[in-house]
Order: sequence, then C-alpha cells, then structure tokens
Amino acid sequence: MFVPSVTNPIGDFVRNLVPQVTAYLPVAFQSETLDSVVAFLINAVICIIAVCAVNIGSAPILIYMERKVCAHVQCRLGPMRLGWHGTIQTIADVLKMLFKEVYAPSGADKLMFYTAPMIVLIAPFMVCALIPFSKDLVVADVSMGIPLIIAVNGFGVLGILLGGWSSNNKYSLLGALRSGAQIISYEISFAMILLFVVMISGSTNLMDITMSQQGTVFDWWIFKIPVLGFIAFILFFISSTAEMNRAPFDIAEAEQELTGGYHTEYNGTPFAMFYLAEYIALVTNSALATTCFLGGFHAPCIGFAPVDNVLNMVPGLVWFFGKVFFMIWCYMMVRWTFVRPRVDQLMDFEWKFLLPVNLVLLTAGAAWIAISG
Amino acid sequence: MGIINLAPKILDPIPGGKYVVNAIDYVVNWARANSIWPLTYGTSCCAIEMMSSSMARYDIARFGSEVFRSSPRQADLFILAGTITRRMAPAIQMLWEQIPGPKYAIAMGACTISGGPFIYDNYSVVRGAQNLIPVDVFVPGCPPRPEALFHGLLTLREKILKETCRNPWQVGEPKDVSTMDRYREAAKTWAALEEMKDEEMAEARAKFKEENPDYKSSFKPIRIKKEDFPEVERVPFKRMGLTQSDIYAKLKEKFPAVMVHTHSEDPVEDVVAAMPADRPLEVMVTPEDYLPMVEFIKDEASLKMDYLIDIVGIDYDDHFDVVSQFRSMEHGHKLFLCLQLKKDFSIPEEQRATALLAHAPSISHLYPAAEFKEREVYDMFGIDFVGHPDQRRIFLDDDFVGYPLRKDFTHPEMIRRPV
Amino acid sequence: MTGMLPPGFRIQRETNTEEFFINMGPQHPSTHGALRLALRMDGETIVELVPHFGYIHRGMEKQAESMSYLQYIALSDRQDYLTAIQNNLGVVIALEKGMNIGVPEKAEYIRVMLQELGRIASHLVFFACFGGDLGGQTCLLYGFKEREMIHDILEEVTGSRLTTNFFRPGGSRYDVPDTFIPRVKAFLDHMDDTMKDYERFLSKNIIVLERSKGIGILSKEDAIAYGCSGPVLRASGVNFDVRRANPYSIYDSFDFEVPVTYNGDCYDRYTVRIAEIHESMKILRQCIDRFPTEGPWRSKEKPVRLPVGRYYSEIETAKGLYATYVVAATTGEKPYRIHTRGPSFPHIAALNKMVQGHKISDLVTILATLDPVIPEIDR
Repeated sequence: MFVPSVTNPIGDFVRNLVPQVTAYLPVAFQSETLDSVVAFLINAVICIIAVCAVNIGSAPILIYMERKVCAHVQCRLGPMRLGWHGTIQTIADVLKMLFKEVYAPSGADKLMFYTAPMIVLIAPFMVCALIPFSKDLVVADVSMGIPLIIAVNGFGVLGILLGGWSSNNKYSLLGALRSGAQIISYEISFAMILLFVVMISGSTNLMDITMSQQGTVFDWWIFKIPVLGFIAFILFFISSTAEMNRAPFDIAEAEQELTGGYHTEYNGTPFAMFYLAEYIALVTNSALATTCFLGGFHAPCIGFAPVDNVLNMVPGLVWFFGKVFFMIWCYMMVRWTFVRPRVDQLMDFEWKFLLPVNLVLLTAGAAWIAISG
Repeated sequence: MGIINLAPKILDPIPGGKYVVNAIDYVVNWARANSIWPLTYGTSCCAIEMMSSSMARYDIARFGSEVFRSSPRQADLFILAGTITRRMAPAIQMLWEQIPGPKYAIAMGACTISGGPFIYDNYSVVRGAQNLIPVDVFVPGCPPRPEALFHGLLTLREKILKETCRNPWQVGEPKDVSTMDRYREAAKTWAALEEMKDEEMAEARAKFKEENPDYKSSFKPIRIKKEDFPEVERVPFKRMGLTQSDIYAKLKEKFPAVMVHTHSEDPVEDVVAAMPADRPLEVMVTPEDYLPMVEFIKDEASLKMDYLIDIVGIDYDDHFDVVSQFRSMEHGHKLFLCLQLKKDFSIPEEQRATALLAHAPSISHLYPAAEFKEREVYDMFGIDFVGHPDQRRIFLDDDFVGYPLRKDFTHPEMIRRPV
Repeated sequence: MTGMLPPGFRIQRETNTEEFFINMGPQHPSTHGALRLALRMDGETIVELVPHFGYIHRGMEKQAESMSYLQYIALSDRQDYLTAIQNNLGVVIALEKGMNIGVPEKAEYIRVMLQELGRIASHLVFFACFGGDLGGQTCLLYGFKEREMIHDILEEVTGSRLTTNFFRPGGSRYDVPDTFIPRVKAFLDHMDDTMKDYERFLSKNIIVLERSKGIGILSKEDAIAYGCSGPVLRASGVNFDVRRANPYSIYDSFDFEVPVTYNGDCYDRYTVRIAEIHESMKILRQCIDRFPTEGPWRSKEKPVRLPVGRYYSEIETAKGLYATYVVAATTGEKPYRIHTRGPSFPHIAALNKMVQGHKISDLVTILATLDPVIPEIDR
C-alpha cells in the first residue's frame, strides 16, 4: 500500500516515535501500515499548523510594519493609540473585518466570487511549505523545489482573474485583466532568475541551494559570482515585486485609476483574505530571495573566526527571519518611494528589457560556470 | 455578524452566560471602535480639511483611521465632507447602502448639518445630511479644522463602545430627499426658547431692582478707538492694446447700428472716450448683427479677438442680455458684446416659467470654448442657442423644472432670505 | 477547412473587439471632487470622454442676488477653496472699480503677499495631487506638509485656515500682525531647501518622465480656442499672465518672469507650476524688502454701494484667469447679478481633446495636471 510521506526532520522524528508508542498497544493494532499512516497524519497536522502559524502570525506584524514604515517615510507617526506605539492596531483591524457584514454584489457569480480569495491565499501557503527556515525546519524537502515554486506561484493569478471576472464590475475586470497580463509576463523573468540560481548551485532542492552557500558572506550567491549575482538579485527583486502586484507595479489595484482593481467589490472576510494573501506573498518572496541569494539560514560570517563563532551561536531561524524582514523592509521602502508606471510601459519593460537581460544573464552564468569549473 | 447577534439569545438564559455576552460585546466593540476606515469621499472645501487631517501635521493614522478606502465596500465610516446637492444625493444614498454594516456617518461642516451658507434662496442644496442617511456625529465648522474632525472621530468611538449585541446595530432605511426642512423647525424652537429666556431675564431684573433700589452699575463699555483712514484716489490699471474709442470707431464703421449703453445725454463718442482705462468697452448688438460682428472681430487683424473669456446672461423684465466677453491674446484689449434678446411674450403666461423665451445665434463653431458656456446660459436662463451642437442642461438634472437665474424663478424648496 | 466546420461557425480572421463605457465619478479618488466623466473605451484606450458637471452646483449666483456685496466675498471663498484668498481679491477689485476708491500702499503690499502665498499653497496641492495620482502616495503627504506653514500664516493674518474672507474694498479687514514678515521670511528660507527635495523627488524621476512627457498634448491654438488660462495655457506656449498682460494691484512694479514652455504636455504643465512657485517666492522676497511698516493699511471706510453700471475685474489666480462681472441695476448694496468666470471650467471642456487615444492611467495624469477644482466649475 502506498502511503505518502512528508520528508523533513520533524517527520523523521515522528516516524521514529510512532512505532515506539504503538509497541505498548495490543498486538491487533501493531502493523507497519498503520504506523506510517498515523505518523503521516500527525506529521501533516503539525506541518499545517506550523505553516499557518508562520503565515497568519506574520501578516498582522507585516501590516503594522507597513503602516509604520509608510508613516515614517511620510513624516508621520502612524498608529499610536492602541497598545504601545499602536502595536495591536492590526489585531483590531482583523477582528473588525471578521465581524463585518459579507455580501456579494447583485449580478455577481457567487460561487466564483467566494472561491477566488481562497485560491489567491493557497498559492503563498504552498510556497511557504517548501522554504527551509532552518537546518532542521522544512515542511516538505522535495527535490523539485524550484519548479514547484514556479508552478504554484502562478496559481494565484487564477484567483485574481476569477475575482475580477465574477465581481460584475468593469473596474474589477480591468484590474484583473491587467493583473493577469502582468503576472504571466513577469513569471517568465521570475522563473529565469530562479533557473539561473539552479544553474549555478546545481540543484533544484531549496535545502541544497541553501547549503551551497555555506561559508562566509562572500559565499552567498549575491556576492559569490562577481557582478552577475548582484544583477540577478536586482532582477529578482523587480520581477518579484511585479509578481506580488506591489507598488510601484500595483497597476492591478491602482487605487487612483481603478479604485482598487480586482478587489473593488470585496468586503469583510473575503477582502481580508486578499489583504492577507498580499502580505503572505511578501513573506514567501522575501524568503525565496533569502534562500536563493542571501545564504538562507546561514549566519553572515566574515571569515574571522572569533566573530564567526559568536555569529554562529545565534540559531539559523533568527538569521533567516532577520534577512526576510530586511528584504521586506526593502520592498516597503520601494513601495512608498516610487510612482506607478503605466500598464503598457510595464509590459514593455518586461518584454523589451527584463527578458533580454535575463537571457544574457543566463548565458553569462553558463560561461562563468564553464570558466571557473 | 449574524452569529454574534444570536449569542445573547442563547447565552443570556444560561447562568453566568451574560458575562460571556458582555465579554463578546467588549471585544467586538473594541475592534470596531479602534479600526474605523473612512471612505474616500469629498465634494468641496471640507474635503481639503479632511485630506489635511490625514497628512503629516495632523495624522489621522494615530487613531488607526488612515486607511482611506476608495471602494465603499471596504469602508466603515462615511465622512460627508462638503455640500450635498440634490444631484449628488442619490449617489450618496447609493454609497451608503454599499457600505457593509456596521457603518457610521460623520457629517462634516455646516453644509451637511443644515445647508450652512447655502440655506437661503437656494434650489439645489440639500439642507443637512440627516435628510438622506442616518448620521452619527455632526462636526460643525465652515470648514471644521482637522482637530474638530478628530473630536468627531473620538466621539464616534465613544458611541461605538456603548453598543451591545443585545440590541444589534441595524441598517437604517435611507430617507427620501424631499423631506422636511429641519432648519425651520429648529428656528421655531430656538425663537420660543429665546422668548422664554427674555421673560425670565425681565422678571429677574425687576426683582433685582426691587431688592436694591439704589444700585448703580459701574460698567463702562470699552470702545475700540476708530482709526482714521485717508481717502485714496483710485488709479486705473494700465491698458493694453487699442483704446475703447478706437475699437468703437472700427465697429461703428462696419456696423452703423452699434450702440453703447449710457444714461448721459452726451454723444456716445465722448462717453466712450471718458471711460476709465481699465474698463472694457461694452457695445450693444442686435441679434442680426451678432454673428457677423463676432466673425469680424475674430478675423480683423487690428482687433483679433481670439479668446473668449465668458458668456454671461442677465435677466431683465422684458429682455435678456447675453454678454459675450472677448479678449485679444496678441494685443491685450477686451471687448464685450451685449446681445439684447426680447422675451417671447406670445407664449401663454402660465407656460413661460418652463419655456425657452428667447433665441440667440450660437458662436460655438467659432469658439469651441463657447460650447459649454452657452450650455450654462441655456441651463440657467432658458435661452435657446440656434446652431449649438449639443444643447443639454449642464449643471442641473434634465427633469429640473424652470430656469433658476431668471428673476421670477420659484422652487418649492427655496427659503427666502429674511431682510 | 471551412467546409468541415459545423454549421453556424465561422473562422474569425480578425480579433473582434467591442467598445464599452466606463463611468468615473462622481465619487472617484482621482476626479478631484464631484466630477463625473463618462468614458467610451476600446480596451484600455479612451475613445471619447464626456464630462458631466453639476454634482456640486450650489446656486451661488442665484444666492448672490439676494446678498449684499460684502456677503458675496464670503461665498467667493467657497468657489475655489484652494485659492480662496485670491478669489477674495478678484471680487474686491470689481467692487473698488464700482465704488471708485483706491488702495493705500501698505494694503497693496499685504494683498500681493497674501496672493503669492495663496499661489504657492495651491501649487503645492497640485504637486501633492500630481504625485499622488501617479501612484506616489508619499508626494501627497509632502506637498501638504509645507502647505500647513502657509496655513499658519494665513490663520494668523485672517483668522481662518482655508476660507479667509479677508479683503475689503479699500484694503482688508485687519492690519497684519508684527510677526507676519518674519514668518514669511522663515517660510521662504525653509521653502528654498524643500523645493530642491521636491524637484529631486519628481522632476527627474524616470517613471514620472515616461508617464508625463508627450501625454495630453494641448496645442497653442486649441488652448486659446478653448479659453484655457493660467499654467495650462502657458505650458502650451502662450505668454499670458494677467499679472503682466493687464497688471492689477502693484504687480507691474515687481521683477518676476512668466514661465512659458512650448510642448503643452503634462510634464510642461508640471514644470510651469514648479517654476511659478519659484517666481512667487521671488515676488515675496521683493515684498519683504520693500514692505512699508508705516502708513495706513486701508483707505477711508465707506458703505459698499455701487452706482448703476457693469463692472468687470480679472486677476490671475493659481489656476488661471478669474474674472468677476458685477451688474448693478440700481444703486444699492445688493447686486442685480454677479457672475464669476473660473479657470477650471474651460480646462475640463478641453479634456476630451487631450485624452483621446490615451490610456485610462493617462487620463488620471492629465486631470491632475489640469488641477481642476470642481466647486468652482459648478459654483
């Protein structure tokens, strides 16, 4: 009998533990199949809880952070009244949205209307399961990590298209179509840069990619390949910003033009799901950037043993989230600094600039591998 | 929402259950009161103060309300910033209905409270937002300062904190546009109160005089010293281009019937020559001469009136004046053509208020600017512009009865200004 | 191949597209108030635009007929609330022409200084909205930040932040306080540095350049024919500024330039306004140097009664030509009719000409650079 299993360190631990526990049970319950099924179920529950905790737990923190970063860029204070410096402001927001009336506009396709936000939310959750947070902390340590991420990431656009289509609103439709065109275009450069990483690291497994950056700061892929790595990182930054529909590439929402784009007609909990998906995507994309370019959970060693020893004493999880939040901060600063390009300029930028540059980068990366061996 | 409203029915009969209901109330109200997202909406001056309140100096974000949503479906609070006109009223009601509950409204500024400066002699302003939608908090001012808006916001917060799911928030029915005039009621009550107060004061004064017959007030009013200002003679502003006499002479040569409106007995030439330098020449034109004259002043090289400033209508007892104001970009002189249109009194008297009483030639093919200006004159005076490509009402609804800038215009909602 | 298709099916040789309509407003974040634009669209491209006005038509002209002349000054605040102090002067000059009274020197200086402060304030709002409508929310905040300083000055002088109601025939309501000149000086010094930041923020930003250059071109002929004025007209290459063309108050005694650009696109309208802020600051500096501390701040107070006649005044507000036409049919305190010509109305009339063939995002840019204030259109 085939029993699916999750390959990760915690999974292994549970798998070892279950036969030891079942050994105390009556003989009738002792079978290898049952053990593996139970182990799998326990594993799956732990993983789901972990992924949900990371994602849903980080979203309110990020929303608070976004509001504070935005406020300080704009010479304001931001939320101040609820909790110390407004720290629990987002909790109030989330609670309020949960208690709000939910309805679909007349003429909307109700099934599609309520399915769309769920689809949007699934994609970043699935990506999150593939990210190695620490040496022992990865939900699914699959060998085809990068292709899976590329496949799953493109899934979210389906929800946006459905949401825009089913809302029965022209602004929503325009926003959804813009978003569809944009994400599908930028998917190409997004995938190409990940391919570049796969090529130089020699693996599609995210854990292997992380482990290939072991050593000092200068072993991270952003610095390891002179110039090329940095260019690849910048290109990844741009295309992932577009992937996430974040400003300055938020033409799908474009509040000044389309009053909110695809989520114009959403309210209450479904809207909160769109909102949540946006921020979870921010986490997963930052985590991806960290894994592929910034050495994942490795400490930023500098090659000087006394300092490195101190840095290595800090757990990998802390380094990982430190880097992720630095990336998120970068995304936020970009968002509140730049103005939005027009829809056709955005497409021109992808097809006429990013894609050729990516192809050149891929070739140059291959040449570098050939030269350096 | 619905589940929470069921909570008191289920939990209240259970011993200790009402404490749970109270706890739910507390949490829900805390969330609602502290996360009020307003709708991006503003029509006039108050909107700018509303914007100021979200800007760096005042920063509405401190209260967690900086998330201005442009879609009503994600908003909680409807800040009615700015005057509400009858034409805007249906849109406001629709926006209000689109906001999912629980929703709140703040009426910002005098216009949304009572009509503000637009109470009297007005045919288009709704006197108070409470005639359209249920309003929670009124913020007075014209426009209110951002601090006042914050006070309104905090007052609303207190109001929300007093809500309970035992008596759940309900969607109020929007009211009809053409309802009562709250101002009149308020004025009557106010006058009654004033009378009572006066009587009480008179009694108290009489009583005081009885008790203290030799009391003398030591109060002396302080008078502000009135400054003496000198009389200053007015110096007319500099004139550019041709003088009024030159323009008049050129017009007279081509169109002998041209006239200048004057009360004095002097010859017209002298009157024109005596005009102050900064006063534009205004000549009277007959409808027949109007179009040729506009063409003439546009094409004539020495005049070259290529810029239409405005078209103004004026209503008199028996005729309309349509003043077209031209300017020459090249030379800098101005010329006003006053077209006199006799009212068509062959229309029966009871139909006159809604009928087009005069016809004028349109100049919109010569000046594209005239297209909208003529529509405005048509809308306000009921003057038909012959040859206008798109003659529709511009400021008022198509089903509006009458032409408001005529002197005999009446509207059922209009209140006369007390003299 | 066609023979093999089931009946009723045809091979589509061209993509079949259909035009559709979009309604923008009256409640829309970038229509600057209660303006409604009906758009005929082909995909994202605008084929035709029809503006609908009247959502904030408050019948000011009808009301004015039962008001005294002085009361109308307060109404003029509420037309273009961003340049309220300038509208006051427009009405007051028309009244002065009718009453035939002059203004002492100090009052003229107060007028010019407040005019230019109002102009800077309005252009700062333009800067804010232009950046904001392009998607840079931070610009919105920055523009309003400096505007608050002007509001502080206005509040100290006139008693109100926005609706000033300050000028009167013969001068103004009050004298300016002693702190007025130092405050303006401090503001100008602060503004010098800030303007550099602002220009670094938008003027050389590549996305802004891409989005505003060559967008919404208004030719010189069209600009004149549609009756545009102010920065919109000057960006199209017409050197027309009432302060120079028909100088009122004491504007002919100042040394300043009228910025003119020749492309007539969105970027030019932006640069003209930024240059105008610099010119206004130049005028303010000259005012500070020459400000008469002694002397009367208004002429002899007289009842505001206009003799029979028609009086016309025009001034240059931040938006353009603001003209007031007063008709007095009887000598008295009430007008027979007052008409105001606001600068925004012709600009919106010319909008259809500018947006055709552009994307819906460009419409937002163009509308922001026209800088309309809807209550002034509808009155």
